[in-house]
Amino acid sequence: MGNKIIKLLSSPKLFVYSLVWLMILVVVGTVSQRDIGLYASQLKFFSSYFFSFGPIPLPGGRIVLALMLINLVSMMFKQNLWKMKKIGVVIVHLGGVMLLVGAGMTAIFSSEGSMVIEEGSKSNTVDDYNITELAIIDITDVNYDQYFIFGQPLFKNGNNLMHEKLDFDITILDYMDNATLEPLTNPSGIQFRGMLKNFILKKIKRDKDDMKNRPGIIYQVSGSFTESDGIYGLIFGQSVPATINVGGRQYVMNLQKKKTYLPFAIELKDFKKVMHPGTEVAKSYSSNINLIENNIPRPVLIEMNKPLRHEGYTFYQASFIESPSGEETTVLAAVKNYGRLFPYISSIIMSIGLLLHMLVSMPNLFKKSIK
Amino acid sequence: MKNLSVISISIIASTIMLYSSLSAESFFVSDIPIQEGGRIKPLDSFARNQSLAFYGKRKIKHEDLSAIDWLLNLFTHPEKGLDQKVFNLRNPEVVNALGLTWTNNFHKYSYNELFPGIEKQLPLIREIFEKKEVDRDVFESQLVEIYQNVMKFREIVSSLSCLLPLFSVYDSDLASSLHVEPGQLISYAHVMSHRGSLFETSQGILTKPESEWSVSEKEIALLLYNLQQTSSDDFAKALKIIPPSKNDSSGLWLSPWELFDGRLIEPHQDKIIKSLESYLLARFENNIENQNIALSSYKTGLISHVGKKVDFSILSKERWLNEADLFTNSLVFYLLGFILLGISWMIKPVIFKNVAFCSIIIGFCLHTLGIYLRMVIMSRPPISTLYETVIFVGVVIVLISLIIEYIRKDGLGIFIGSISGSLLHYVGFGYAADGDTLEMLVAVLNSNFWLATHVTTIILGYGTSLMAGLIGHIYLIEKIRVPKDSVRLKSIYNNMFGVTLIALFFTLFGTILGGIWADQSWGRFWGWDPKENGALLIVLWQLMMVHMRLSGLAKPDKFALGMVLNNIVVIMAWFGVNLLSIGLHSYGFASGIAVNLILFTLFEIVTGFGSYYWAKSKNKVLIRSNN
Repeated sequence: MGNKIIKLLSSPKLFVYSLVWLMILVVVGTVSQRDIGLYASQLKFFSSYFFSFGPIPLPGGRIVLALMLINLVSMMFKQNLWKMKKIGVVIVHLGGVMLLVGAGMTAIFSSEGSMVIEEGSKSNTVDDYNITELAIIDITDVNYDQYFIFGQPLFKNGNNLMHEKLDFDITILDYMDNATLEPLTNPSGIQFRGMLKNFILKKIKRDKDDMKNRPGIIYQVSGSFTESDGIYGLIFGQSVPATINVGGRQYVMNLQKKKTYLPFAIELKDFKKVMHPGTEVAKSYSSNINLIENNIPRPVLIEMNKPLRHEGYTFYQASFIESPSGEETTVLAAVKNYGRLFPYISSIIMSIGLLLHMLVSMPNLFKKSIK
Repeated sequence: MKNLSVISISIIASTIMLYSSLSAESFFVSDIPIQEGGRIKPLDSFARNQSLAFYGKRKIKHEDLSAIDWLLNLFTHPEKGLDQKVFNLRNPEVVNALGLTWTNNFHKYSYNELFPGIEKQLPLIREIFEKKEVDRDVFESQLVEIYQNVMKFREIVSSLSCLLPLFSVYDSDLASSLHVEPGQLISYAHVMSHRGSLFETSQGILTKPESEWSVSEKEIALLLYNLQQTSSDDFAKALKIIPPSKNDSSGLWLSPWELFDGRLIEPHQDKIIKSLESYLLARFENNIENQNIALSSYKTGLISHVGKKVDFSILSKERWLNEADLFTNSLVFYLLGFILLGISWMIKPVIFKNVAFCSIIIGFCLHTLGIYLRMVIMSRPPISTLYETVIFVGVVIVLISLIIEYIRKDGLGIFIGSISGSLLHYVGFGYAADGDTLEMLVAVLNSNFWLATHVTTIILGYGTSLMAGLIGHIYLIEKIRVPKDSVRLKSIYNNMFGVTLIALFFTLFGTILGGIWADQSWGRFWGWDPKENGALLIVLWQLMMVHMRLSGLAKPDKFALGMVLNNIVVIMAWFGVNLLSIGLHSYGFASGIAVNLILFTLFEIVTGFGSYYWAKSKNKVLIRSNN
């Protein structure tokens, strides 16, 4: 029985069928990027365990890749594999196992976000690309602010968010991946507070370019038993923050991209854009920065293809913003990835394996034809 | 085989000799460096690019005029140039909109013919400019293109008018103050550099009424009037041939007219301008000797420039590459090889096949030399644009074909090499027709290390994959033609599997290297970007074929069919993903390509499945008759 299972799991046929399904996923996931954009397509087809095709759930990228990993690992237990003649094949497949393990680690543990720094200023926070959070900031004290952060996974309709130090409760009414504000024509209901008194927060279609999506949230504040109880709305990137007063304490409420605080800061000294002379084609971008740790600055140059690596984070020159007045702002991509060494090692292993295998088999395949 | 190697060595030797004939000593007018498209190139390339943009070809064919001669004639005889029919209009609608009549066989028009129509259509053109490029229809984008071409042409025509000998002075005092003989022709530039107190004197003249002017004063006034007329050309800044001042940090070269905007002219700039002036005069007078003197003094001027030095050997290499037209010549030899192979099939003598083999080798040498020279000129790895991928895949397939031919000696390699080499040259010419093929790269791609590793590997993968597909075709054809010759079939099948393994090595390794580049440059190894997915799809397909063979799911016929269909995957990954126009890699978007892709896909499906089932039915008959 055990043998039978191993035989099935290690069969090259299983590998072929998983490959066929993976190819279908890749084609569908690529073509659908035209309509739903790269990020949404990636979430649906590749970073998912299952996705639904109409009413039918179908295996997503993670299931297929996991199956291939199991297939590869169980193949290692085949006895007729461990022969000198097949040494190349064994090595290639070991490399394949490593590649898939690395992919799994990256998929589960890596995080990426961006750091936006104006020339002359500094920052120690990384904003996640996609995940949002609701920040309730108690600004009553002059000397410090107190942050209460509720993450996006909590934004389920009807969910109650509370904290013992907060004098009120929050009930999520609606969360929108992409929203817009429209001015109200009729007076709003008496239950609405803040900007919802004058605007309606409306859900709109997700943009293909994920950067253009502005998430929105509608929630109810209750339990303060003051005028502040009521329905509030927030949209990502709104210029005027929402505030409430409860029990003599003043709070700012903000919907923002999930922030990670770094144990060091980055100060942008100068951003440089060099063009090929006489053209509109950029030759290079670079950010001249100070890496400030324990108040000691260290100058670093981040260029295209030359990132800064520090404490598990890697900072890349990703983009820039030029204001009409000529001020430059750099956009650095910040990535933390525990699996990043795996592709490097596995590609070397796989190449060695394939080369060995070719050395063994090529002379037979290119024998002179006998005539 | 002995005589073959002798021949091939002699070819290589002759190519090297040919190449070394381009000595760095001589400096031709076509070598004059000019800045265009972000790099310094010889005037010859500039002339060819302009001719391509206006006329549609790299020379003025109906006048049998080389691009450089056409350009120089424009400079020396601008008024003739304005009447020369150099604008190629492809669309009758555009021709009618410009108030001209469309003739069926010759669609070339001159500046003077086009300009009135364009002036009338200016409101329409302005309206089209308001639209985004994607929203313009064919007529609109062609009208805009012709408008831009006509404006550019006007600018080029006038860009050296400041150096033309247009004026003469007869008054001896005035002549001597301008350092010329009375009656000698002089240029705007000459007057400006010897003007001395000319403008102060003129102030005195202009305050007097015209009737009181003396003869010499009248001459000065006339000269001033002419100068002013000529200076209306100072918009013409298309010809960036003057190296910048030594204090300049932008790296921007200047056009002659820019030098006369009141700035300080440095010695090297002055020398270049003066030499160019005397060159134009000598050309005007058809004096070859003086032309050469002027050119050597031009070179001295360039050398005396203290900034970033001009590399003369690179310039002359590029000019030589333009003139030698290596890829066209390589195509000729590939086609010749194919014809000779055909003859050797019809009439038996081995000599024809050997000559065909030789012909492919010559074609290959020229092909490789072309790629090598492009690398030297741009000082970067062989592949960085879509055009270069095509040229490189061609050379890879021909190389493997040559190796296969060397081993098998049965014409199979010649057949594959000549067909695929020629086809890919034609595809390459299609891309080259868009403009200068030696382009500068955007910042992300500007990394020689990764271009040399990832890009080269993945393109080697494309090449070898296509090769495996071609052998797949041949296997299926042979299966129909000689189903009983199991030795031959087995050896072709083995070759196909060998090439598949090589292809898998390059595509797999190239794809992972691409991931590593992505990890190095923007922080993620894999982002499911269309181009990445395309490359992945080739790897997956080949992995599938290899494992289908292993598990018995694919017998040789099916394996051959699978590799034929792999060609579709390769072409889609190579060109198809650009049609999606999303993602970081879509570097070469072209809509006309969609039709070709569909045709190719249909062709592969029909021929692949067709020959597969034909072979299968033939095999059945064979088995039955054996029983």
